[in-house]
Parts: sequence; C-alpha cells; structure tokens
Amino acid sequence: MPKHKPKRGTPLIDMTAMTDVAFLLLTFFMLTAKMKPTETVVIDTPSSISETKLPDAGTLTVSVDPEGKIFLDMAGQHTRMSLINDINSRFQLGMNDQEKLIFSNLGMFGVPRARLKQLINTPPAERGHFPMDGIPVDTSDINKSELADWIHNARIAQFRMKQEGKVTDEYVIVVKADKNTPYPAVQRVINTLTDINVNKFNLITSMEGGKE
Amino acid sequence: MAEIAQDSGGGKKKGGKVRSKKMSTRIDFTPMVDLGFLLITFFMLTTTLAKPNILALVMPEKDIKKEDVEPVKESKVLTLLLGANDKVYWYEGITDAKLDSTDYSAEGLRDVILKKMDKVKDQFGQETYKRKNKEGVEEEHTDGSYINVIIKPMKTARYKNLVDALDEMAICKVRYYVILDVSPLEEEFVKNPAGGLKFNADAQVEAATK
Repeated sequence: MPKHKPKRGTPLIDMTAMTDVAFLLLTFFMLTAKMKPTETVVIDTPSSISETKLPDAGTLTVSVDPEGKIFLDMAGQHTRMSLINDINSRFQLGMNDQEKLIFSNLGMFGVPRARLKQLINTPPAERGHFPMDGIPVDTSDINKSELADWIHNARIAQFRMKQEGKVTDEYVIVVKADKNTPYPAVQRVINTLTDINVNKFNLITSMEGGKE
Repeated sequence: MAEIAQDSGGGKKKGGKVRSKKMSTRIDFTPMVDLGFLLITFFMLTTTLAKPNILALVMPEKDIKKEDVEPVKESKVLTLLLGANDKVYWYEGITDAKLDSTDYSAEGLRDVILKKMDKVKDQFGQETYKRKNKEGVEEEHTDGSYINVIIKPMKTARYKNLVDALDEMAICKVRYYVILDVSPLEEEFVKNPAGGLKFNADAQVEAATK
C-alpha cells in the first residue's frame, strides 16, 4: 500500500459566496444612491458649524439660485397628487390624470403656474433645457403670491395625507439658497413663510471645511 | 468553481502520449471581488456624505400685540448691519450710537460679540439661566450672557453673510438674537456715520405691532 501523502499546494478557496455578497451590496448601494433626484439648478450652499442632519421625513424645499429665482420641491407622491388636484381645480389649469401623475414624480420645478402644464408635457430628457424662470412671489399681497399658494396648499395636502395615514410627519420646511444669492431674494422667501405662519424652518448648509 | 489559481494547468507527463493540452476552466475571481468592494466603498461613502446639514431658524411672529412687547435694556443690545462686500457694520444701543465695521473672520465679528458679552457681564454680573437637560432635570447654566443681538441684513448683503452671522451666534452662544429688516434710518447711518442714529424706539414698536 502506498503511503498517503498529504497534498501540497494552495488550498482552494471558494470565492463565489463572497462575490455574491459583494455584488448584492454593490447593487443595493448603487440603487439607493441613484434615488437622489437630479438637480435642476446648481446651488452651492454656504457652510456652517451646524451638525444637525437633514431629517429623512418629508421635506418641502424652497431653493433660491444665485439670481434669486425660486424653485420648489416636495417629497411624497401622494401629497403631490393631492396638491396638484387642489391647485388644478382652483386655478383651472386643465390638467388630465396623466399630467397630474407626471407632476407627482416631477421633482424640483420653478415655473409660473401658467407654464406648469407646458413643463409637464416636455419630454423628460428635454426638461433640463426648459427655461425655468422661478416661481413668482409677491410679498406685498399674499393672495397674489404663487409661492405662498404652493407652500400653503402643500402643507394642507401633507396634513390630509397624515390623517389618512399615508405619511407619518408633517412637512419640514427647508430653505436652500446659494451663498451668493442676494439677501433680498432670501428675504422674500422668509417673509412669504412668516406670512403664512411658518415661523420655524431650516436653512440648508454644508459642512464647514477649509477657508474660502 | 473559483479558487486562487496558481498551478500551471497540468504539466507534461514523462513518456506519455502527446495530448492536446486542456485549458483550465477555473476563473480567478479575485480582481472582480476587488473591484466590487472598491465600488461598494465608493457608494457607501458618497451616499452618507451627501446628506446636507441644516441650521434651524425661528422667526418672530408677524402679528405681535403691543402688550406682548417686552422692553430690553439698551446697553445689552448689539445691532449688526450686514453690508456689501462681506462687511459688517455694528453699533451698540441706540443713544449716541457709534458705527463701526468689521468682517466675518474669527478676529472680527466674534471679537465684537465676545467683547460686548464681557461688557454686559461686567455691568450686570454673570447671569445664570435654567435649562432642562436630557433627563428633564433643570440645570443651571452660566455660559453666555444675556445680550440681545439684532441681525439686519442690508439689501447689498449676500445669503452667505446671514449664515455666517447666525453661525457666530451659535459659536458665541448668544441666546437672544433676531433677524429684522433694515430701517431707512440705519441705511442713512451707514452712509453718513457722523450724522448719528436718530432712532425712535417707541415709533419702531408702534410700526411693528400695528
């Protein structure tokens, strides 16, 4: 009988399981990372020492670009659907269900109400080139201010969804302005918010890092 | 099956028939796993870093009743006028106010606020206040002092100036500050500091409360 010789050489390691896990995680992170909406305008927020993070709960973001144009974005498909139903019937925008559905998935928008339908009917690929001239705001007459209408109705819609149990929290209002936005543009937004009794809100800032 | 492949894929046997060499079907997965983990790391880091910070801001209510207005001591008030080109104009109180200017650096605005705090502390003594901690027990705090800072961004200021000023409030632990609109009197004061500030506090209260 021949002597049993132990086999020399490299041990075999089965890498399949590890590869599986690695790619599962990779897929997960790639998909979650892609959830971030594409930004219609580039806003470079000022830095601050604040370390409070933006909450995950529904946010209503008012963005102000360096030229002072105002854009709106709100979370929650249900709320947006309910909001556009209200706005559509109140201001006779004449939108059909398909257009309302597009609005509920639209993301950030910054057009006067009259041109909203036109924006919605633009193919998604061309929406980036659609001229966005900001949401009109009128601080002297709150009833004429489209921004005030949007925010007020969005909060009502969110509240309704909360009662129906579709969302858990009311909107957290955040103002996101570029560091070079002239103050009067931000002031218009702040005044609009206090006019509709939103006295508590948040300013988006980036992490403090290095001197300018 | 994957493995760390190191063998040369079957050497020639002595004296055997010459056979066509069979190619190994084993694939080395190591570089693929490396790449996978590299990408995971990248996505993990970018997703967590993408979350922005927020700065909470509470504005005073629009409709204030006159009886709710509580007067503050003039000597505790510091007014900051945020001007153009990252400049801050400031004055203390309202009577015989002297206009001075500084910038947003640590030696600038922060010094002004801290000096004012020291001044108020010397005059009125260290004030303490009670605040509930996380367990709900009231604790006495002595940090900061009761100064009232009024932040008034002028039309020429940019948004960054406001955030910088709010940041200084947090750094210096100013407990009472408010953002208000600049009055025409103050705009005049900045243009012509020698003219003095002809501020009528009663008229301001009247205008703000309706």
